[in-house]
Amino acid sequence: MSESARQTVSTRATPPKRGTRSVWPVICLIAVLLILSAYLLLVVSNVVYLTGIDEASFSSVAQLLKDLRRGIHDILWFFTSGRMSSRFWLTVKTASISTMLSLLVGIPAGYALSRFRFPWPNLTRTLIDLPVMVPPAAVGVFLFGVMHGWPVKPLCEMIGISFAHNTNGVILVQFVVTVSFCARLMKSSFDGVNPHFEQVSRSLGASLPRTFWKLTLPLAKRGIIASTIVVWARAAAEWEALMLFVGGTEAETDVMPFAVYLDWNGGMMGWVASYSIACILLAVASMAAVRIIAGKSYLW
Amino acid sequence: MNSSNDNTAIGVHNGRATGMRSRAVIFTAIFYFITVMLMLAVCWLFLSNVDQLFPREDTVRTEAMDAWRSDEPTKEFAGGCWRFPSFWRSVNLTVVSATVTTLIAAILGIPAAYALSRYKIPGRAVIDVLFSSVIVLPASSVGLCLVVMFQYGPLHDILDGWGIHVPLSVPGIVVVQLVLSLAMGMSAWRAAFDGVKPRFEHVARSLGASPWRSFRTVTLPSARAGIFAGLILAWTRAAAEFGGVLTFCSTFEQFSPELFSPIIRALHLHKADPLAVNMWAQIEYGNVEYGFAIGFVLVMISALSVYVLHKIGGKGYIW
Amino acid sequence: MLRALSCFLATALMLAATGCGDSGNVMLFHAGVGQRSSLNEIKDVFLARHPNARLNFAYKGSGYFIADLERSREGDLFMPGEEFYFLQAVERGFITDYDPKTDIAAHFMVVIATPRGNPKNIQELEDFAKPGIRVGLGNPKACAIGIWDEKTFRKAGIWEQVKKNQVQSAKCIAETASAIQHREVDASLIWSSTAVLYLRDIEIIPIEPRYRGLVRLPVGVLKFSKHPELARQLKEFMLSEEGSKIFRSHAYVTDPGPLDEQGFCLDGGMASRDDCKWLVQAAKVCKDENIPVNAETCGHLVGEVRRQRATKRAGTR
Repeated sequence: MSESARQTVSTRATPPKRGTRSVWPVICLIAVLLILSAYLLLVVSNVVYLTGIDEASFSSVAQLLKDLRRGIHDILWFFTSGRMSSRFWLTVKTASISTMLSLLVGIPAGYALSRFRFPWPNLTRTLIDLPVMVPPAAVGVFLFGVMHGWPVKPLCEMIGISFAHNTNGVILVQFVVTVSFCARLMKSSFDGVNPHFEQVSRSLGASLPRTFWKLTLPLAKRGIIASTIVVWARAAAEWEALMLFVGGTEAETDVMPFAVYLDWNGGMMGWVASYSIACILLAVASMAAVRIIAGKSYLW
Repeated sequence: MNSSNDNTAIGVHNGRATGMRSRAVIFTAIFYFITVMLMLAVCWLFLSNVDQLFPREDTVRTEAMDAWRSDEPTKEFAGGCWRFPSFWRSVNLTVVSATVTTLIAAILGIPAAYALSRYKIPGRAVIDVLFSSVIVLPASSVGLCLVVMFQYGPLHDILDGWGIHVPLSVPGIVVVQLVLSLAMGMSAWRAAFDGVKPRFEHVARSLGASPWRSFRTVTLPSARAGIFAGLILAWTRAAAEFGGVLTFCSTFEQFSPELFSPIIRALHLHKADPLAVNMWAQIEYGNVEYGFAIGFVLVMISALSVYVLHKIGGKGYIW
Repeated sequence: MLRALSCFLATALMLAATGCGDSGNVMLFHAGVGQRSSLNEIKDVFLARHPNARLNFAYKGSGYFIADLERSREGDLFMPGEEFYFLQAVERGFITDYDPKTDIAAHFMVVIATPRGNPKNIQELEDFAKPGIRVGLGNPKACAIGIWDEKTFRKAGIWEQVKKNQVQSAKCIAETASAIQHREVDASLIWSSTAVLYLRDIEIIPIEPRYRGLVRLPVGVLKFSKHPELARQLKEFMLSEEGSKIFRSHAYVTDPGPLDEQGFCLDGGMASRDDCKWLVQAAKVCKDENIPVNAETCGHLVGEVRRQRATKRAGTR
């Protein structure tokens, strides 16, 4: 692979002298290969583990075939059972609700951050980015303090909503972890829209809200959709804050990343591995969607 | 939809400009409001917890508890964390492990990002998607994958033959941190190299520079801000790692010192946990004030690095 | 665009509303993570009889509960993995009606666990002190097994040597057990009810009777319970004959025989002999596909063995 790649490099870069061969492209490609193989090993070992194929399976062909059949049966069993689909849909449901809530805040905030002036820009931006960079575990701990302190606790008791140990808590955690991330991504989406168009629209007599609805949003659509997917994927992958704030309840708070941990603690490695594979598939699928929509797999 | 049309009609009659302006003002005000509320909520999330640093009157310390914890944080401000060497060793461990991780990530990631950005690698789109999907992988899943990878199959046999145990060891921390921080760094470095026009490199190459020389003298300086941003991101992500370390390495604070290798003891990394893990552990042990103090240290570390990130104007990240 | 967004908003609010609705008869049960499998079954049986009630669990390492309860002051029932943590809650006034004679739901038995095939040939407690053995211990501040590690090895007089072999300081029993399962450590002490969850991947070795610990598992209704009547009913159910049966089928010991005040066996292991035998037998049956699974081969643990034999990596029924 490195040989063919080197050839493509040399044809593309139109080198003047054939003599100045450098090891640099080779090093680069080796780095890619290294990371790729580590990553694939990480994922593949998971699948192999679930099938239960080990050294003993390779003793004979018959044994290997038997183990393979058994492994495939196991995988099908885990992925078609009701427990898997209920956790999967729970994850999808909570992540979708929290993403929607994040968007409600994130789109206006992102637009404001992109277009309006704020005092101490570095400071305000740091503030917005802070929940993104703080360890989610710390967010969970701090959330615990907030939800059990004044005025949130009396307020929740008055309304009659509880956030501990139930699905509401999961949505809350996912929302808190993703909301500023969402605002940040939306800001970048709106940054990609040339303000010049808006000025033209305004000068032609459209009001600011009208310009926003009719011009800015449609222009930033691609970015917004791509960001939404990333936010969704991030929400669906949240675990650390959940563990510290919500706690585990069967069929109530155990979205897939959390179910990985809970079943790990219950010794049910079959579930752990299959949830983990499902999480990986979700992550890869959403990043593939982002790449198809945004044209690159990182956003900004 | 309808109401907005009505408003437009009224606006036309009463004087278009004033109607438009008032609507623009309301629109702007709502958007400002939402943003400011978000910022205030972030402030509230972190600042309202300051009271957790102070011991509460109603926390009873039972005799049984005190018997266990004669050497433990007492009920004072922030659990008196600064008086405990284990706290400082934890800070040290976090900084050192994150730095080592970032170095390894940079050595592997910068060339890889460059290759992905410049060379036509077959299946580049797939590789791209795979690398970036690591960022949205749950930490619990990463922990599991690592355990399975290191404890089963050929890798386990090889390492076992050499007598190396990666899980439940201090170097294991770096392994866990590397997974996520490499992905973070890669996305930033990728963006940084994509931002540099390959044209300049071609010029340098056509003037006779080797690929390495053109990379070093042309690409690297132009992409400097992005590369620094990637380093900071990788470092922050490594320092923030919690779930993976918990499942892969467990904790080390309770060990006796002679269980650690001389190198680790010489660097004062023994009997310490990464801060995020230590925060959780301390809260779990009932030292809530101590745990929150560590939480604030973590927030400050992240705030500082984000601030620096914005200062240098680093772009190209997803997180 | 506006219409799309308003549709979107309406859906979001609707979905959020469906999420928030029912918070009627929800009880919260703080339980040690080691009791998970049995309590889930208890829950199923109990809820079948009380269709209006709902029950949520907070599974954690036992040590965390005191910190959690102290700050949140929420929850209806409490069942940590050791009386020690329970007594702390009693001392703090979280539980007011504890009766040490009647409120014990079941007992854990401490057993030795090693990875499959027992590569380091661990046979008795003294083997933990051999140099080069990687031993996993619990952290007494976070979980009950930590207390028992220290108690047991101190009684055997090898605590200092064992400490030198320590490679893990776990924060809940499950961490210790999964380290064994994944061959990260060579030997650990774990509960019988935890060991039974890992039959395929570990070997279970009963401890010799004089060092064999049996851990009391009290259950109590918390002072700040919002549904004290329902919680009391659940507690009663767990203490009933039927509850014991469920606990027993998950490898808890319900008849420990005479114990000293520390919790060690006094009768030379007579009362818990059967439990030990079936545990070892279950681990054997689970690994060997040729042995049939029935009450003759695995005794009261037949349900657990059947569950774990169904797939190569354990799942649920």
